[in-house]
Amino acid sequence: MQPTGQEQSAQGVDLQALLAEARVNEVLEQLDAELVGLAPVKQRVREISAFLLVARAREMLGIQSETPSMHMCFTGNPGTGKTTVATRMADILQRLGCIRRSSVVAVTRDDLVGQYIGHTAPKTKEVLKRAMGGVLFIDEAYYLYRPENERDYGQEAIEILLQVMEANSSDLVVILAGYKERMQTFFSANPGVYSRIAHHIDFPDYSAAELLQIAEIMAQRMRYRFDDESRATMQRYIQRRIRRPNFSNARSIRNALDRARLRQANRLFECAAAGERTRAEELTLIHAQDLLASRVFRGDAE
Amino acid sequence: MSATTATEGRSKRRGRYDAGVLKYREMGYWQPDYLPKDTDVIALFRITPQENVDPEEAAAAVAGESSTATWTVVWTDRLTACDAYRAKAYRVDPVPNTGAGAGVEQQYFAYIAYELDLFEEGSIANLTASIIGNVFGFKPLKALRLEDMRIPVAYVKTFQGPATGIVVERERLDKFGRPLLGATTKPKLGLSGRNYGRVVYEALKGGLDFVKDDENINSQPFMHWRDRFLFCMEAVNRASAVTGEVKGHYLNVTAATMEDMYERAEFARELGSIIVMIDLVIGYTAIQSMAKWARRNDMILHLHRAGHSTYTRQKNHGVAFRVIAKWMRLAGVDHIHAGTVVGKLEGDPAIIAGIYDTLREPYTGADLTHALFFDQDWAGLRKVMPVASGGIHAGQMHQLLTYLGEDVVLQFGGGTIGHPDGIHAGATANRVALEAIVQARNEGVDIWNEGLEVLQKAARWCAPLRAALDTWRDVTFNYTSTDTADFVPTETASV
Amino acid sequence: MRITQGAFSFLPDLSDEQIRAQIDYALRQGWALAVEFTEDPHPRNTYWEMWGMPMFDVQDAAAVLYEVNACRRAYPGRYIRLNAFDATRGFETVRLSFIVQRPEQEPHFELTRSEGPGRRVRYSMRTIGAGRG
Repeated sequence: MQPTGQEQSAQGVDLQALLAEARVNEVLEQLDAELVGLAPVKQRVREISAFLLVARAREMLGIQSETPSMHMCFTGNPGTGKTTVATRMADILQRLGCIRRSSVVAVTRDDLVGQYIGHTAPKTKEVLKRAMGGVLFIDEAYYLYRPENERDYGQEAIEILLQVMEANSSDLVVILAGYKERMQTFFSANPGVYSRIAHHIDFPDYSAAELLQIAEIMAQRMRYRFDDESRATMQRYIQRRIRRPNFSNARSIRNALDRARLRQANRLFECAAAGERTRAEELTLIHAQDLLASRVFRGDAE
Repeated sequence: MSATTATEGRSKRRGRYDAGVLKYREMGYWQPDYLPKDTDVIALFRITPQENVDPEEAAAAVAGESSTATWTVVWTDRLTACDAYRAKAYRVDPVPNTGAGAGVEQQYFAYIAYELDLFEEGSIANLTASIIGNVFGFKPLKALRLEDMRIPVAYVKTFQGPATGIVVERERLDKFGRPLLGATTKPKLGLSGRNYGRVVYEALKGGLDFVKDDENINSQPFMHWRDRFLFCMEAVNRASAVTGEVKGHYLNVTAATMEDMYERAEFARELGSIIVMIDLVIGYTAIQSMAKWARRNDMILHLHRAGHSTYTRQKNHGVAFRVIAKWMRLAGVDHIHAGTVVGKLEGDPAIIAGIYDTLREPYTGADLTHALFFDQDWAGLRKVMPVASGGIHAGQMHQLLTYLGEDVVLQFGGGTIGHPDGIHAGATANRVALEAIVQARNEGVDIWNEGLEVLQKAARWCAPLRAALDTWRDVTFNYTSTDTADFVPTETASV
Repeated sequence: MRITQGAFSFLPDLSDEQIRAQIDYALRQGWALAVEFTEDPHPRNTYWEMWGMPMFDVQDAAAVLYEVNACRRAYPGRYIRLNAFDATRGFETVRLSFIVQRPEQEPHFELTRSEGPGRRVRYSMRTIGAGRG
């Protein structure tokens, strides 16, 4: 993974060349193309990449001997792209030589914690071994900590995690993810974990305009389209949906589109008479009607 | 010739079963449209016909004479379902690089299919008597070589196959991840039992896994077999105790009669040997008997291919060794000498690769560049461990591992016993060389090009290896092979 | 005495880096690594104790070394070896096996000979000093 052909001397290191060789820009471009908005997140990713690149340069010149900690924490509401960014981050880390493989093992508390005494340690260790060489992504990590239940084994998992984050920091990068406030509570109760996290990235909710953009992209990918009327309806849908409970950003948009497709299919069937041909344009169009049927427009939750 | 019968409806053209002499191809032995069945045994012969004998007729003649024909028509054929029993020559190809301008007479590959019913189940003696028993002295052919055979799964399944096999052998020895090491006691002849045992002890203690009797060590005035067995087993057990490894010595049980062989094998078993050896010259029937015995008695069976070069070495006449290897795998030996490539005995790399694949693969795929003409499905038959023996030394370890792979016994007779600092040192030199090369290969080192450096680096801390490299550094055996593949991989070759 | 079992016993003891290289080789071949330990290295002692299960799903050498080191900490005086298992058809056996820890004081073997009729001798070996290291 070592970029080659660099001068390791008093003449210094060509940072741009280093960046080019590591092909990190490809990943950043991919991130740009894949995810709508998230400007602050993409900026943070760039910053972290630059930081790691410089750390590499310092290592090459013999200035720095210790690899910096790379463990991270992603906070934000669901559906804001945390898992996608974690995967791209793994790519970047691998290209910069910080980890050996760009694989991401994504787990939640239940994958780490056992149901009875003695069950947790082997379970956690198995997950860690599976993830070694790459990235371990723990979603809703705060569920590991349940102080109110004295028979909870989450603490054991946390301790093992800490040991590995410390002793095998060159073998494994841990990314914790979850709601911001709950992560903060988790960290204040577990300062040991907090101290090992080097980078925090917050994932803001998407704006309504961004969500509309996401809706367009998703629809397009599924070979559907909006006309002007349905697009305007979608916009109104989004504005209402945001205010309702359990809004999960991109995930909610995806769900809405799935329901719209279902309604569209049923509508087409009802309208089609025997012997009549339905044209391709009709099969791809999401009509305003398909969206208006949503209970979001009925005002009250059911 | 005119029709001789007066029966109505018979045409004026000569009848098939009318008395007299017919060309073989007219007797039904040449069938270019025949599609071989999955259950047919197929033989590939390399034919050098006499002048004015055309290739299809020659092929048909070989088919005929190795199945049902005789030189004249016989009426008793009609008491049989002769169409079934007749071997069918179905394809004849000219051999590349032979004929006008090539410096060697024109040769042809003839493919002949044999009905399964022609052969007794599980009998190499019958298979060989059938196919090569009659035809090789046939006058219309200048030369004839059995080049390859395809044995159908239906027939493979009637054989026991290797008594132990590579996997179980390794599990018994508890040795995984490297080739095994052996040596033949030297001098070939003359040592008494006690002195013989000393050679075995030193070599095994020094690091070899096996030592072996030579093919002609049976029971002679200078050493009776029982003494040899007793002294060797003392050496084997003592060496095992001082190293903690499972060790063995191939006790040669070859004798004049089967009864004597069983007596010797039983004695070896009683003394706790894990392996015995036999020579090819005892014959196919004896070999199969010994294979059965070996399996019943948890013994590894080593076969020395004594005498094979009398008929395997020349390209135009005889039986190719790969066919012998196939027969031996069916018969049930666990070890067979199969060539070293870089040693003192005949062995072209492509040919040897084909033979090793025949012995070791669960399914040997056809590969004309390795002179393997047929896909051979071994139907779960165990794998035979090839043995590389003859003029090899520690300085060639990287070449040996590259050419021959890991599942092989490397035997360094002279290379162990001829070591300037003694047998123990010779064995250690070989073992250290081997482990160092295997370690380097696993680490990703290019051992073909850097192997010698790896050995020299190890030699810095291993004095016996240093002495070995110094003594034999430049010894190689570079002669032109007599048996080479006809099909060479080139960009334009279409085979 | 120095017991010479395993693929690399005639070489100086492997460093962790060298062990890691061999593990990487085994992982590249698609073999599963397993750690075993014992106090009795008798050549007929086939069944060393298993340290955990064979690591079928592990993709990285660090994970295997993690277990090797855990075993070393738990049993500092025992023999520990790594086995690489190949489950493909035609093999279904160990493909590579080597020792990664030896006790300070290795045991040795006592050879006992029981003489029988004629000049027959029955041999057996006994481990002396197992578990002392």
